[in-house]
Amino acid sequence: MKAVLKRRARKEYRIREIDTKIRASRTRNEARIMAMASRSGISAPKLLLSQGFDIYMGFVEGERLDSLVERKAGPEIFGPVGSLLGRLHRINIAHGDYTPANIVVRDGSPCIIDFGLAQVTGTAESKALDLLLMKRSIGRIQYRRLVSGYRDGFSGAGEVLKRLEVIERRGRYQKRTLQ
Amino acid sequence: MPVMGIESSAHTLGVGIADKGRILSSARRMYRITDKGLIPSRVADFHSEGLGKTIDEALRKAGLSISEIDAIGYTKGPGLGACLRVGQLGALLLGEKLSVPVIPVNHAIGHIEVTRTLSAMRDPLALYVSGGNSQILGIVAEPYRHYHVFGETFDIGIGNALDAFARRAKLNPAWGSSVEKAAEGGKYREMPYTVKGMDFTFSGILTHAERVLGSAPLRDICYSMQETAFSMLCEATERALFVTKKRELLLCGGVAQNARLAQMTKKMAESHKIRFAVAPAELNADNGAMIAVVAEKMLRSKALPKRSECTVKQRYRVDSVRVGW
Repeated sequence: MKAVLKRRARKEYRIREIDTKIRASRTRNEARIMAMASRSGISAPKLLLSQGFDIYMGFVEGERLDSLVERKAGPEIFGPVGSLLGRLHRINIAHGDYTPANIVVRDGSPCIIDFGLAQVTGTAESKALDLLLMKRSIGRIQYRRLVSGYRDGFSGAGEVLKRLEVIERRGRYQKRTLQ
Repeated sequence: MPVMGIESSAHTLGVGIADKGRILSSARRMYRITDKGLIPSRVADFHSEGLGKTIDEALRKAGLSISEIDAIGYTKGPGLGACLRVGQLGALLLGEKLSVPVIPVNHAIGHIEVTRTLSAMRDPLALYVSGGNSQILGIVAEPYRHYHVFGETFDIGIGNALDAFARRAKLNPAWGSSVEKAAEGGKYREMPYTVKGMDFTFSGILTHAERVLGSAPLRDICYSMQETAFSMLCEATERALFVTKKRELLLCGGVAQNARLAQMTKKMAESHKIRFAVAPAELNADNGAMIAVVAEKMLRSKALPKRSECTVKQRYRVDSVRVGW
């Protein structure tokens, strides 16, 4: 089996105290949630070992969704991408950075590859932020597919989508473009 | 063709003149902020009393007479309604008198474009940090050419967070660089670090800082607030650079005068071989020259706004503006 090492590099711009704390806690957190997701049957890399600032995980074959989109792939893939997010939310994991760059597609089925900013949470707010970030990263037709897949994957989808509307209506978001 | 810009969105009244992207002069008057903060009607009075003198000063510094001005730009928003009104009326009057175009300018775009012009950047990502704003922006072509907001604060601006703490800690003056100065020699204490993708929040840091005020050395609190908040800004900006693949980064807005923030963003940019620029302090503070720079670009792009668009708008979103240059 091919393995990948993800090492959180030191960010020179931050003071060491903050940098070390953040890298260590994100590494621990990522490993824990990655394992939790795959235990629940969600398509994610297999956790092999986590230590310090390092995570060893199984290699995921396929093509990254952002390059797939650049090659003008059809919007069909966003249905499964939405349903994958729905299943993640069903077990109360918010991804924190759900963008096409963090999804690998193989034979039409998507796999989440980065849990670096994920958190275990029951709140609709964090889940809605996952949708918001993806919404801002993709086109309107793709987003529509995503939402319909999301509803299929998650019975609590209605509440989260309602929350998303609230977030978007907050002053600073009222006219965010590219929607 | 020299263009005059009038800025009056908050505590600073500024008049500047630009010509072919070069700044000929910048004159400023600043309302003295008391512990009560800004009282809009008083600031507006201050601006109306000073406008004539500031215009004269800008002309004198540029060595021009008023009849040589070819267009008048003013800040349409965002800002305090009463204060914006002073600049707008001044610009409309002058425009009428001189029979030259009047051009409404977005304040945030002023901050970005003045730095972009000075540094001759083509397509930069901008980290815009001020009292009320903290945003990561860059030009996007769809659905129309505009500054898209890639990330921003979910609650308060970074400047507000620092100033609100300065008032609470009774620093004097309770705004601007007070926290930066008080942070000297401080040691790190843990503070909430919240980045969500390319967005961030500062109220957690402020609440935490206020809670430990009195039980921890002030310089430690100030130091930790700055280090935490600025690291968050850098991390979000770093992510935006990856997402947008832009190769230039500029730092602008009032808080861009903070030397520590400038140092951190520069270091982050250089670690990815990305070109970095920050304008001199007097152009990061609110000023009229940046408004003149944008007004001139709008004038040259021939996409002049109609007279009916020469209004003021307290909440004037940066991404609602078409960038025609």
